[in-house]
Amino acid sequence: MELNRQNIRTYSLLGSHRTFGQIALEFPKIDDKIVILAADQCSPAGLEYFRDQYPDHYYNVGIAEQNLVGIAAGLAKEGFKPFVTAQATFSTTRCFDQIKINMGYMNFGIKIVGLSAGLAIGQYGATHMSMEDIALTRAIPNMVVLSPADCTETAKALLAAAKDSRPTYIRLSGWMNNPIVYKEDYDFEIGKAITLKEGSDVAIIATGTMVYNSLKAAKILEEQGVSVKVVDMHTIKPLDKQAVLECSKSKLLVTVEEHSVIGGLGSAVAEEIALYKEKSRHLIIGVEDHYVKPGEYNYLVKQVGLSAEQVAERILKVL
Amino acid sequence: MSNLEKYTNAFVTCFEVDEETAKRLKYQDISAWDSVGHMGLIAALEEAFDIMMETDDIIDLSSFEKGKEILSKYGIEF
Amino acid sequence: MYNMMKTLTLAKQVRRDIIDLTYKAGTNGTHIGGSLSIVEVLSVLYNDILKLNKSDMTDDTRDRFILSKGHGAMAQYAVMHRVGILSDEDIASFKKDGSSFSTHPYMNVKKGIEFSTGSLGHGLSLGVGSALALKRKNNVTSKVFVMMGDGECDEGSIWEAAMSASNFGLNNLVLIIDKNRLQLDGFIEEIMKQDSLEDKWSSFGWKVYGTDGHDVDAIYKTFSEALINQKQPVVVFAHTIKGKGVSFIENKYNWHIGVLNDELYKKAIEELEA
Repeated sequence: MELNRQNIRTYSLLGSHRTFGQIALEFPKIDDKIVILAADQCSPAGLEYFRDQYPDHYYNVGIAEQNLVGIAAGLAKEGFKPFVTAQATFSTTRCFDQIKINMGYMNFGIKIVGLSAGLAIGQYGATHMSMEDIALTRAIPNMVVLSPADCTETAKALLAAAKDSRPTYIRLSGWMNNPIVYKEDYDFEIGKAITLKEGSDVAIIATGTMVYNSLKAAKILEEQGVSVKVVDMHTIKPLDKQAVLECSKSKLLVTVEEHSVIGGLGSAVAEEIALYKEKSRHLIIGVEDHYVKPGEYNYLVKQVGLSAEQVAERILKVL
Repeated sequence: MSNLEKYTNAFVTCFEVDEETAKRLKYQDISAWDSVGHMGLIAALEEAFDIMMETDDIIDLSSFEKGKEILSKYGIEF
Repeated sequence: MYNMMKTLTLAKQVRRDIIDLTYKAGTNGTHIGGSLSIVEVLSVLYNDILKLNKSDMTDDTRDRFILSKGHGAMAQYAVMHRVGILSDEDIASFKKDGSSFSTHPYMNVKKGIEFSTGSLGHGLSLGVGSALALKRKNNVTSKVFVMMGDGECDEGSIWEAAMSASNFGLNNLVLIIDKNRLQLDGFIEEIMKQDSLEDKWSSFGWKVYGTDGHDVDAIYKTFSEALINQKQPVVVFAHTIKGKGVSFIENKYNWHIGVLNDELYKKAIEELEA
């Protein structure tokens, strides 16, 4: 499908969760074996259109995430390609054993679309925040873990996943009126990081919503004479090792994610560079190891220190 | 094309209605102007007038008439 | 054609095989109690009920059998071996290091092991998904059979799946609950009460049947009745004895996993051959 200025902006306004509902309308054209299973999340995912247009390709399993992934495994075994969806936190932590056994151990190519990851629905409290989903899913063998930067990349990642046979977790972060990183169509390949900006002093590897904030942080830093490279690591697993290697050559390597500092992108990069003979220091920026009180999205981003200004400030402090 | 023509045209194209219907439209009057159609309209208006709308304005734009009022905040005159 | 003598003979061989396999497994032991309780039901299923093409276990017209109580794998392997699906080599590798035929089923499509199980509470969801898939394929002749333990009903995921099976109108799904009344730590009644388990399934929209789980004739008749003109998901409660056939194992919770030394092995064989 064609991505143009108008649908890119429409997706950004809808937010990544409801962009899913729009892109899903393309799935039957890509592969008739694709089915979508929702755990009582039809409307948050904007799937009403899919449900009405393709009722035979759609199941709602109710508020039952373990059964969601289990049923998907049964369908996958018989040759179908299930996309399953629920809020990011419930679609990962609530059914982790099902993910491990069905998607890891048995390697069924189920795609989990985790809605409103990170702080997106943090107004509902820590129960609805998803800070561990990258850590959990990437610990499972066979899994592919995608974390698109904006709604354009959400579209690209979903379309790529629809054509891919591997078990995949697609982490959709950010809220409505999601800032746009990709203003026009571009080449997206699972496992291949995208350098958005070159720079020589600091290399930022960011994922999800933090790609946009990192670009903004880079601008702030450049005003102070610091040259900053920014990489969109949309695929956490398999990690683009070449991209990490190149970033490790700068004076300071920074990872930024709207996820716990334990087990996410920062950890994945740290594991990769651990044995490098020559490497820069590595600053891991993410959500520290604690819970925050509920609040509106932009408030929470500041509470956990992930606004562009705060990211820039933290980088300056260790530079 | 005048601003009013551009504005009306966005409604006509997004919701596939004639001009007369467009001018009387309110949010959710027709199935095409649902929550997704709304965002499509906003994107079309932003593109047509080369503006970026605030979240509150996006939510407030609940009818053809109200929209004109909101766009005037962005210096667009009808 | 159902032949009671043939199925009885199969069950007898399998019970003996289980004792032999446990003896050969040495001091690691095997999940012997819950394997001995399902011998007759599995024998009837594989001999008389399941539609299988033994020369091609991937044949799409086959019935699917999912062992959700994965710890009963030893009994499943023994039955599959005796009916000619698994080879002598397959069964000889049981519990050997690195084997594909170990304590819990390891998905092996060619050999007819439909899924990897062992983590309890998964099999019914897999069955619901499989049954939905058969409907998507317009395969109206195959059915999905899932075997669970009664202790396994403690798992919450079972009830998610139970609710969805009737919601989706799965008249091609057959569940067998091996009601041996024991779980690892003791009698179910003493660990986690499941008062009127049959009523629970009935209230979830399932058609409930019951049978003596060690009487092959009764098992066959129950399945025959349950499968004809099936209108909704069906559950067959097989009333069994954990450790059935060996007096010192029967109804003993501490024989969930058991070791047979020379002396006990001899004693068990004597009892089976008496």
